[in-house]
Amino acid sequence: MSVTEVGLPASSHIHPPPDTFIKKYVFSLDHKVIAVQYFITAGLFLVFAGLLAELMRVQLMGPNNHVLSVAVFNQAYSLHGTAMVWLVGIPIVTGAFGNLIMPVQIGARDVAFPWLNMLSFWMLPVAGILVFASLLFGAPQAGWTEYPPVSLQLPLGESLSLWCAGVFVIGVSSTITGLNFLVTIVKMRAPGMTYTRMPLFVWATGVTAFLSMIATANLSAALAGLFIQHNFGVPFYDVTRGGAPVLWQHVFWFYSHPAVYILILPAFGIVSEVIPTFVRRPIFGYKAIAYSSAAIGLLSFMVWAHHMFTSGLQHWEQLFFMIFTMIIAVPTGVKIFSWVTTLWRGKIRLDTPLLFVLGFLSVFTLGGITGVMLASVPADAQEHASYFVVAHIHYVLFGGTILGIFAGLYYWWPKMTGRMLDERLGKWHFWLTYIFFNLTFLPMHWVGLLGMPRRVATYDPAYAGTNFFVSISSFVLAAAILIFIYNAYRSVRHGELAGPNPWGARTLEWMIPSPMPYYNFRDIPIVLSGPYDYGKPLPYANISQDLAMTPVR
Amino acid sequence: MAAAHAHAVGDAEYAEVSGHRLLGFLFFLISDCVIFGNFIFSYLYLRNAAPVWPPVGIERPYLYLAAVNSIVLFGSGATMHYAMEGMRHDRRSQFVAYTIATIVLGSMFLGGQAYEYTHLLPHTTWAGTTFGASFYTLTGLHGFHVFIGVIFLIVVLLQTLRGTYTQERHFGLTAATLYWHFVDVIWVALFFLFYIY
Repeated sequence: MSVTEVGLPASSHIHPPPDTFIKKYVFSLDHKVIAVQYFITAGLFLVFAGLLAELMRVQLMGPNNHVLSVAVFNQAYSLHGTAMVWLVGIPIVTGAFGNLIMPVQIGARDVAFPWLNMLSFWMLPVAGILVFASLLFGAPQAGWTEYPPVSLQLPLGESLSLWCAGVFVIGVSSTITGLNFLVTIVKMRAPGMTYTRMPLFVWATGVTAFLSMIATANLSAALAGLFIQHNFGVPFYDVTRGGAPVLWQHVFWFYSHPAVYILILPAFGIVSEVIPTFVRRPIFGYKAIAYSSAAIGLLSFMVWAHHMFTSGLQHWEQLFFMIFTMIIAVPTGVKIFSWVTTLWRGKIRLDTPLLFVLGFLSVFTLGGITGVMLASVPADAQEHASYFVVAHIHYVLFGGTILGIFAGLYYWWPKMTGRMLDERLGKWHFWLTYIFFNLTFLPMHWVGLLGMPRRVATYDPAYAGTNFFVSISSFVLAAAILIFIYNAYRSVRHGELAGPNPWGARTLEWMIPSPMPYYNFRDIPIVLSGPYDYGKPLPYANISQDLAMTPVR
Repeated sequence: MAAAHAHAVGDAEYAEVSGHRLLGFLFFLISDCVIFGNFIFSYLYLRNAAPVWPPVGIERPYLYLAAVNSIVLFGSGATMHYAMEGMRHDRRSQFVAYTIATIVLGSMFLGGQAYEYTHLLPHTTWAGTTFGASFYTLTGLHGFHVFIGVIFLIVVLLQTLRGTYTQERHFGLTAATLYWHFVDVIWVALFFLFYIY
């Protein structure tokens, strides 16, 4: 079939690839190279932020340890949260996975604005340096949320400014990425790729991009407010001069609640890709999963004040936010049921990506249930700022986002590098992570319900045994990631060659060679139907038939 | 050189790329709207929480200068519109004249705002009260946008004089126009919130 007959985009001609090292690997405009840059940079920040967490766990091994001073402990949890949300989670799920997979899955050769894409990436190391540099001046100590008046009262020197600047930079980066991805998805889909034929990862990325664009712009404004309050005394949040500390909580959470969906929706997308591939059946409820992503995206703007039930809201406000928070569990439940129904009586192949997905399903569901518990105003009054909240957030962000990220990494690693990861090491990695994740965070529910507050360097000796156990488990949990690092190193050096489609999947990225060639597709494919109809012929025309092959194993 | 490059791409490709850029630019304006929305929310929140408004000892901003300034800014929206009409009908001199008028009116608005800041509000400071915080942050942010808009217009005017844009190919002008009208619309909200409400 000739290319011009079907009205292909005029810009589909192929430019020659860059030839210098700088253009190819440093200031690259290629979405796939940028994705790898995101993985490596955010991976480094993951190690830093993880070490901060382990430092805290060392301190908490005993009720009155003196490993860290209280001030350093406060800095550690503040930067741990800041880095994990903004420098690790969001860059990996949007910048890395979104860049690596989304353009290929819609049959495009790149994102709409490659130059902006490069700019977005290079803001990440700048933001990371700003945030971690605040450690040199005594980092902010009021947690990743930096509530005034505490964040403004302490003698913070330059550090709060650095923190604001760092998060501002990564916020702008996130807004630009969102805008870029949204234009890409709206404008650059291959012929025949209607919205209801898009892979579910693209749906998730699209909704995430919308959230990044709207909510993160708001974060930038909120941070600017905190910055000018801190540096110029502009009294937005200063109660002694008519300001309102609760105002900061409103504007902060108006961003930061959508942000948790920025963190989890791409993981939902990864799960939706992995399950049908390893179960060999069409995904159950394609439209239900797709539209529930959109519903979650919209509802996420109507639930922010459930973080503030103890901050003195009106009763009607509490009721409103309680109800909407509980409603948002419905589209999430729709997804869980659709995934479980896809698994039901499927031909399940327990490879590492699916193991991580099953781990995700089990622990994320628990995290979702504690989320509904916390949404209830009377229960939250008891549980607020206790270790129960710490347990909840790690069940959804570690059990959800991080397990989802690993599922995606094991799944798309062959596509990214052209080589397989070792299955045996992968299974060790999964089981150690899964078991010690639960041993680390499950007991936190109990000490939380017993009344242990979060963000404390010392605590009542009554919780000593549990905390010692949690600390030991957390060390193993952190060590498990070394298996992955070794596996990755081994695979890049002498892993088994993957071939174009090692898992026998049907989305477009598997229809091209691994690693993906520059400009992705020799000819832009034509899409004839949805991507998950296992057992039917492939729904693509205009792709090289020798690549649309069956799995190698 | 830029003109030569612009014509190196085919009409279909130019239309496609402009379509991407237009949508991207609209998304940028939406996110910019959110930033104003955040500070407007903060203003209304603080105003609602205050026992008296404006706070004791703070004068209300002077309506008449702002009203004249608004007319100047809305007038610049009209001249911008006629400038683009000129470009659409390939009347180059109309475009140039009306764009210069827009730049002059935009600069007059900035001058009026500077006069207001320095002469009309002797007791209202940025860091003094929540009123000053909201007023100077929002109108200052808007003034900054007007300033950027003026620079934007000067750049596209120079580009036009050098022949970068044609009747069919003028995405840069479209973006500048959209930005200018956006800044106008934001001012409607700010004028109402600070001078009338």
